[in-house]
Amino acid sequence: MRHEPGRPERPFRRNDDGVVLGGVCSGLARRLGVEVATIRLIALLSVVVLGSGVAVYLALWLGVVRRGETESIFSRAMSVKREKEILFVVAIAAITFLIAFQTLGLHALGVFLWLMTLSALGVLVIWRDSSDAEREHLREGAADIVTRASSGSDKWQSVALRTGSGVVMALWGMSLLSRVGNETGAAAYVLVGAGALVIGLFVLFAPWWIRTFRDLSFERRARIRAQDRADMAAHVHDSVMQTLSLIQRSSHDAAEVTRLARLQERDLRAWLANPETFGASSSPPSTLSESALAIEREIEDNYGVGVDVVVVGDCNLNESITALLAAGREATLNAAKWSGTNNVSLYVEVETGQISMFIRDQGRGFDVDSVPDDRQGIRRSIKERMTRHGGSAVIRSSLETGTEVELHLPLHSRVQ
Amino acid sequence: MSDTERPRVFLVDDHALIRAGIRSELSAFVEIIGEADEVTAAIEMIIERSPDVVLLDVHMPDGGGLAVINGVAKVDASVKFLALSVSDAAEDVIAIVRAGARGYVTKNIEGPELVEAIRRTAAGDAVFSRRLAGFVLDAFIAKEGQLASRPSFDLELDQLTPREIEVLRLIARGYTYKEIALQLDIANKTVESHVSSVLRKLQLSNRYQLTNWATERRLL
Repeated sequence: MRHEPGRPERPFRRNDDGVVLGGVCSGLARRLGVEVATIRLIALLSVVVLGSGVAVYLALWLGVVRRGETESIFSRAMSVKREKEILFVVAIAAITFLIAFQTLGLHALGVFLWLMTLSALGVLVIWRDSSDAEREHLREGAADIVTRASSGSDKWQSVALRTGSGVVMALWGMSLLSRVGNETGAAAYVLVGAGALVIGLFVLFAPWWIRTFRDLSFERRARIRAQDRADMAAHVHDSVMQTLSLIQRSSHDAAEVTRLARLQERDLRAWLANPETFGASSSPPSTLSESALAIEREIEDNYGVGVDVVVVGDCNLNESITALLAAGREATLNAAKWSGTNNVSLYVEVETGQISMFIRDQGRGFDVDSVPDDRQGIRRSIKERMTRHGGSAVIRSSLETGTEVELHLPLHSRVQ
Repeated sequence: MSDTERPRVFLVDDHALIRAGIRSELSAFVEIIGEADEVTAAIEMIIERSPDVVLLDVHMPDGGGLAVINGVAKVDASVKFLALSVSDAAEDVIAIVRAGARGYVTKNIEGPELVEAIRRTAAGDAVFSRRLAGFVLDAFIAKEGQLASRPSFDLELDQLTPREIEVLRLIARGYTYKEIALQLDIANKTVESHVSSVLRKLQLSNRYQLTNWATERRLL
């Protein structure tokens, strides 16, 4: 909805679009039904009169509700206890500072300083308590100024404006400083003069400074990215490229190709999941799930048979659990060697009071009863090992559906 | 849809090689009515052609499989999705199943198994891989002797019945549905209804807790 000059509007609201700062001037123009430019000109002129325009502007910014909102910034600040406390503390500090200044004898600038301090307080409240929408708008505006200051500086107008105002500020500061020694309260002139000099120099050199700073951070980011890329390239070269060349060389051997592909896949997964600790984990597995994955690695690498591990729950190792894992490894190994399939399922679950482990293949089975007693593998490595630790082992096998080895280990005490 | 009829399948994957591989493996058993390699096109074409089953890659630019499921479900909630991915990380699996996929299989699945999974999805059943079954058991059952750091939850609402747990365990051990029916002495259809019920519980369960579980599991 566009505003037409010449028709006053009610109620008085700060504008929310096409605004320079807080939308006070354009809001006022709508309320009074006059051109925005007129109001802005009056506002600018009033700033020259001891900065009174600034204080009035801020007061309206704080006290008038923004279009589309229900509460003014000031009443929002007053409705929160914490905000009230912060404002109170800062105000006390500012007044103390002003009184200290007064005793230094700065009478000429007294009113000006009071107004400036009040304004600074107002800006603080606006920054802390404006609505999210308004704050977003202000932030964009600030970012815009920074961008323009650092990039648009080749336009002669902006260079002239900046150099002009910077030089005037700096000269004024120096002239104040040079008066020291003739009158009482001279220290105050030192402070104001030094401040003006600093501001002047800042206005002169800010664009250069911002640009340098930004270039530095660009460079740093680029360097980090290059570093990441180099790490990635190094890893790809060390592992993937080597494996691919091995696969090409052994392309006649299907089992070897599968084995290499599996190995590389596992390696890449581990690296993706945790690039920082990758390669550092040469320590032996310390939990049930890590040990199960170690069995998968060992059998896949040595026998070219896929081991598909699913672990439910996890616990730390102890002597019996290590025995269970050894029995499970033996069963997996048997399946890999004798079943004739290329896939073995390994399932481990930590249940209430026991750990169960199932090793299953769907290949050639065998007659469990006809295995001669002198075959050590099953009896010694699986059954006796389990009974020694209070567990049990059941082996089911049929010629059609393959073999399943079922291991149970009771947990006598809570394992932590 | 009867068993003899060929399900109409739509393929979504951003890797041309994978699409070609799946096409050649499946074309004898299913009717592939289209394919797409990016999210927006996939959503449009799926809505237009309403396939029986969408075979969906999880990882794609612009939101991946999740975006496709959400985009299609807004218009046509009856389309069934079977997620297909190289990743078997818990957070990916759980997220896609929660979004509404009827199941999840990894890309190294063998041809006949994939055909079976598609048939089952088309019939409205759930497809649980061993790993998905393992994830569900891991997430839903609180156990003694657990590492203290391992998260799990046992909310009343999210509880699985003993029978459902039994079925999930057998899936995790590598049993097919038929073998499970034989083992538990129940009908094939009953196994399927147990699995579907678990899927429903998974989709209705507390999203925050589940996501939390999945991310923490990755950190361990």
